[in-house]
Amino acid sequence: MRKLLAVLAALCLLAAVPGTAMAADPAPKKVIKIGVTQSVDSMNPFLAVRLVTGSIQRMIYGFLTVPDSKTLQPSPDLAESWTTSPDGLTWTFKIRQAKWSDGQPITADDAAWTFNKMMTDDGAKTGNGPAVENFQSVTANGQELTIKLKAPQASMLDNPVPIMPKHVWEKVKDISKYEAEVYPTVGSGPYVAVEHKKDQFVRLEANPDYWRGRPKIDELQIIFYDNPAASIVGLKKGDIDLIGRLNPPDFESLKGDDNIVQWNTQGRRATYLQINHGATTSDDKPIGDGHPALKDPKVRTALHYAIDKQKLVDEVQGGLAKPADGSIIPPLYKDFFWEAGGAEKVTFDLAKANKILDDAGYKKGPDGVRTMPDGSRKLQFRFSIHTDTPIEDKLAEYLTGWYKEIGITLTTKRLDSSKFTEETGTTALFDIAISGWSVNPDPEEVLGTHLCSRRPGADGKGGGTESFYCDPSYESLYLEQQKELDRGKRAETIKKMEERLYTDAPVIALYYPNDLEGYRKDRIASITPIPEDKGLLYGGSGYWPFYTLEAVSKDGASVDEGGSNGGVIAGVAGGVVVLALAGFFVLRRRSSSAADERE
Amino acid sequence: MTAVEELEQTPVRHGLLRYAATKVGGALLSIAMVIVATFFLFRLLPGDPVRALAQGRNMTPEQLDLERARLGLDKSIPEQFLHFVGRTLRFDLGVSYEYKRPVLDLIGERIGATLLLTGTALVIAVSFGLWQGARAGWKPGSRFDKVSTAISLVLWSVPTFWLGLLLLMVFAAGIGPIPGIFPTRGSSSVDKPDGLAGVLDVAQHMVLPCLTLVAVVYAQYLLVMRSSVIDEVGQDYVTTARAKGLRDDDIRRKHAVPNALLPTVTLVFMRIGFVVGGAVTVEAIFSWPGLGQLFYEAIRVPDFTLMQGTFLLITVSVILMNTLADVVYHVLDPRVRSA
Repeated sequence: MRKLLAVLAALCLLAAVPGTAMAADPAPKKVIKIGVTQSVDSMNPFLAVRLVTGSIQRMIYGFLTVPDSKTLQPSPDLAESWTTSPDGLTWTFKIRQAKWSDGQPITADDAAWTFNKMMTDDGAKTGNGPAVENFQSVTANGQELTIKLKAPQASMLDNPVPIMPKHVWEKVKDISKYEAEVYPTVGSGPYVAVEHKKDQFVRLEANPDYWRGRPKIDELQIIFYDNPAASIVGLKKGDIDLIGRLNPPDFESLKGDDNIVQWNTQGRRATYLQINHGATTSDDKPIGDGHPALKDPKVRTALHYAIDKQKLVDEVQGGLAKPADGSIIPPLYKDFFWEAGGAEKVTFDLAKANKILDDAGYKKGPDGVRTMPDGSRKLQFRFSIHTDTPIEDKLAEYLTGWYKEIGITLTTKRLDSSKFTEETGTTALFDIAISGWSVNPDPEEVLGTHLCSRRPGADGKGGGTESFYCDPSYESLYLEQQKELDRGKRAETIKKMEERLYTDAPVIALYYPNDLEGYRKDRIASITPIPEDKGLLYGGSGYWPFYTLEAVSKDGASVDEGGSNGGVIAGVAGGVVVLALAGFFVLRRRSSSAADERE
Repeated sequence: MTAVEELEQTPVRHGLLRYAATKVGGALLSIAMVIVATFFLFRLLPGDPVRALAQGRNMTPEQLDLERARLGLDKSIPEQFLHFVGRTLRFDLGVSYEYKRPVLDLIGERIGATLLLTGTALVIAVSFGLWQGARAGWKPGSRFDKVSTAISLVLWSVPTFWLGLLLLMVFAAGIGPIPGIFPTRGSSSVDKPDGLAGVLDVAQHMVLPCLTLVAVVYAQYLLVMRSSVIDEVGQDYVTTARAKGLRDDDIRRKHAVPNALLPTVTLVFMRIGFVVGGAVTVEAIFSWPGLGQLFYEAIRVPDFTLMQGTFLLITVSVILMNTLADVVYHVLDPRVRSA
């Protein structure tokens, strides 16, 4: 037992020491540490799907285009310039004269190989398959890349596929099984990945040959936290320098720390209600058990009038959101954002909601609950939310209160996330459900989630719909914007689609949650958000924030060393205390056994 | 050894072999049942894994079908079942939906971290718990007994998640005069040094998760040991030993404790089985890159093959350790043999 205690004490003492070893690192590298709460699924861009992995890909690989840091409009990346044929079917990109991080020149052949691989190998479609679905053929000639499309596609310039070095990747036999854990990676972005410890971190080093110029810091570490609360502790302590995608309570807990900047700007997400307005499968057969009253646009409009969006923002989101007077595209995307005005605009008005329902024949019964005009069913709706989400619980409370005022009973149904996805996206076993989507600079993706073709098939499988919506005018507007290569005209069409969603109300937008982040100003001297005017840091589009990142130099580093020295001193002190305790135990035992012997 | 003694021992050896064979047979049967149950259990979970994978991403119906085919979900349930059983018997746990890699590889990458953490915690919890239990039981009602039993029970009742976060906030972040000397996450630093310093770096990362694991479980060893020692205190052989004039400590250590250890054997072996499963909660709090974290991620997706794989591994190791405990007990305690 004595030995064990001594060993334990020694371990405790030693465990506190490594701080010294690390602080004594001779080379003062400029390192910035980004905390993330999602681990990397795969370093192979053909397979990876997670957001964190997408962000890392943006830093180590070039793309055809990248959203402009000011306007978010497509701007040159690996493609220097481009032209489109009059029919919109042939796109020609001029690939930049630049070098891969291993010194090989970048040619159009690299891009052609990447796209062709995805078009011909099903195993390479997992990551970004839909991006090449409309591609007829891709050919290369020197620095000239020609992509022929099956149908015109305006979102071509928001292509999410990282261009891979052919000379490295063509040697891979089976892409679908390739881990790509070879370091340093060969890429063309501002950083080169040099190490990946699974579920722990990814280490990126500045790419000295990056064509825009080397980043200003030497190393970027992406550090994984399984637990958001621990990541907040990590930021406050200085184990990480920046963390994004915070929820309101965690964001609030950063208040009062002089070293931490609370980053609160408009976000890329919209939160909305999805209404089962008569769900159907892709062959137009009814599916699910939605309440028949919700098929009536008047009922949906009444539901819309009975929501106090400002109140929700204040009470549910702690004021850290913007009430939605538009639809599924948040105001961050100025070009595409549509906002209701005039008579069309729905504002909180319970009297008006009641009147709409009265006029439409939904009479209130003696218990104050309305019934269908034919008296067949009461207006009792289920509200599907996720389990263990306090924010959604609170939202449900408010909605239930307001809907009671207009004679509608709302009961909350909590589902775990996979069951929730199934019931609200495939089997349609819901009335009203919480929903939302993070929107890209090109909104085609989110617009596509409300197309007829995204409804589940007759076998009940497949899909990808976020609303079971199938509306002829929405469909034709979608096709129109797809063909329109003039950005201004296309934006007008997209706004009409948002207007249609707003007035027909298969979805009702509630608010646009703010982008909440935190970073240490004693470590990060400057960082440019995307867009530059009130934009995002982590989770934004492109690589701008992490390319422009500047670290606090020397002074900050010496403060840091002082901190770890303090830790070391405390650690040694702690070890001494443990040793003293152990010694005390041993001595006490000695004396007690001596007493025994005398007896 | 005389001939008579040899004769007497043979049936015992024989009995042990037969006993062990029965137990191993039982274990194999349990494993077979677990394999079957695993397949159907996870098919009962709600949610279409392909749809879940596509969540928050825009995927066309064609692509979803492609994914379904990749995961083998386009086949009928009996076909999937036969495929699953055949594969499992060849120690092939399939390919993870989410990571697109063999489950066995994923487990292999993480099992080391888990064994290190939970193994260390088990050793500390067992030695600490048994030691305290033996001392507490030797003089029941004493101050040491009251204090140690009370503390262990309080820690036993505390939710792991809460205790872990509290330790993290106090000893990793530092509060007031208490410095935050321990890291907030992971099993090593990003700039982990080589050699001895590297080992120390891992040790430093292990302190808080290990402490959490020990604190919430050592009570069970303490209590079992305590009651077992209390039983021994009143035994005649203890009185005899006292009458012989042996030191109190010697009686406890050399006579009472070895006898009292028997009931703890089963307990410890059971826990060894669970060591493989790791500690999902603790791994999640301290971002420890082990199996618990992998299992947790698998449930969130849901990633059928990964869940099946980790679940099988955990259950099989528990069954094996249980069987081993039965056999060891048989050897240690002659009374079981006649039963």
